[in-house]
Amino acid sequence: MYPMIITPKELKQWYDNGKRFTVLDMRPKNQIEEFPLIDLRHTIGTPDSIDKLKGDKVLVCQFGIITEGMIIENNLNNTYSLLGGVQAWNEYLSKKNDLSRWSRQTILNEIGIKGQKKIMEAKVAIVGMGGLGCPAAQSLITAGIGFLKIIDGDTIALSNLHRQHLYNLENLGKKKVDVAKQALEKLSNHAIIDKQDLFLKRRNGRQLLNGVDVIIDATDNIATRQLIDYFSKEMNIPMIYGSLYRFEGQVGIFNVEGAKGYSDLFPKNLSGGKTCDDAGVLGMLPSIIGNIQALETLKIITDLKPNLVGRLLIYDGLNHITEIIEL
Amino acid sequence: MIKVKLKCFSQVKYALGSNQLVFELEDGTSTDDLENIIRKKAEGKLDDVTLGIAINKKYIFNNTKLSDGDEIAFIPPVQGG
Repeated sequence: MYPMIITPKELKQWYDNGKRFTVLDMRPKNQIEEFPLIDLRHTIGTPDSIDKLKGDKVLVCQFGIITEGMIIENNLNNTYSLLGGVQAWNEYLSKKNDLSRWSRQTILNEIGIKGQKKIMEAKVAIVGMGGLGCPAAQSLITAGIGFLKIIDGDTIALSNLHRQHLYNLENLGKKKVDVAKQALEKLSNHAIIDKQDLFLKRRNGRQLLNGVDVIIDATDNIATRQLIDYFSKEMNIPMIYGSLYRFEGQVGIFNVEGAKGYSDLFPKNLSGGKTCDDAGVLGMLPSIIGNIQALETLKIITDLKPNLVGRLLIYDGLNHITEIIEL
Repeated sequence: MIKVKLKCFSQVKYALGSNQLVFELEDGTSTDDLENIIRKKAEGKLDDVTLGIAINKKYIFNNTKLSDGDEIAFIPPVQGG
């Protein structure tokens, strides 16, 4: 049996509609005193008291995880667990902001409600909606990013599908950004997704990247990486670089806090071998590297350290070797 | 003589056929010298590849003299996405 869940917003509706139910605060005394439950009529509950009460019951703990476990273990009927617990309820009551969907990440001290709000206010651009862009976009949207600009002028080909998981067989020949926007909107009811059906060029870069907090480099060619690096430097926006070669990937954060840029690493007339189409790549590799880019993006947004600022991570998926080079 | 360990990534790994090699070099050998040795050993496979260089996990930006026990990584730019 899956525990019955109620969100803070739904619970408030019950309350406002005059529905009869009992709220039981299942937390230990010290936690109740330290983080009081705001404006919700409730009693202090014990595991024994739950079954004796008639009607619907809502169990509350600090983050909504312990009470879910109680419902499963004791096979409780007519009993709901408040998603996100007191943390999410108090936030909803004071700010009308239902963050319970992200309770599994707000429970992390390093994120918390404060970090979640930063995530939801953040504006991110992804240049390239291919193997790296698809997983990065998925993870950022589900993490709660408030604004995502997706930039790509390409169409979906059959050979993309093994690694670009926002697209399927019905989408062949369609514009990547059109399909990606639709797929991403199914994952989110809060984010604004701005699709740009074009390639980043010197003439349009400034306008395209204006106003974003972070740029994710998910392109497949060195020339565009150099261009992103140029605009990242010029506009003082962190660049989250990611790139692939067969079983390997590289990730780094450039042009922030005095950190080096892509052109500092490879300043000469650059040539670097083949693309995924030429050299081949296993589908899992871009998913791993794209998700590391998303992770580093969240860290930049929430000021979480250590991160890859001023460092280059190289991951070899064949031997599972990770190397971090200080820049 | 000095002994250095070379960690190979991406195109370098495929060109040299190994992800790790040990080189015995003359005293005074520099990163530029080692790069030339590597390029020769790769028999043309790295001719069109730019290489970044790190010594002991620290990226270097200028030709640097190698020391006994150094761990060198040649890092090519990769472009897949």
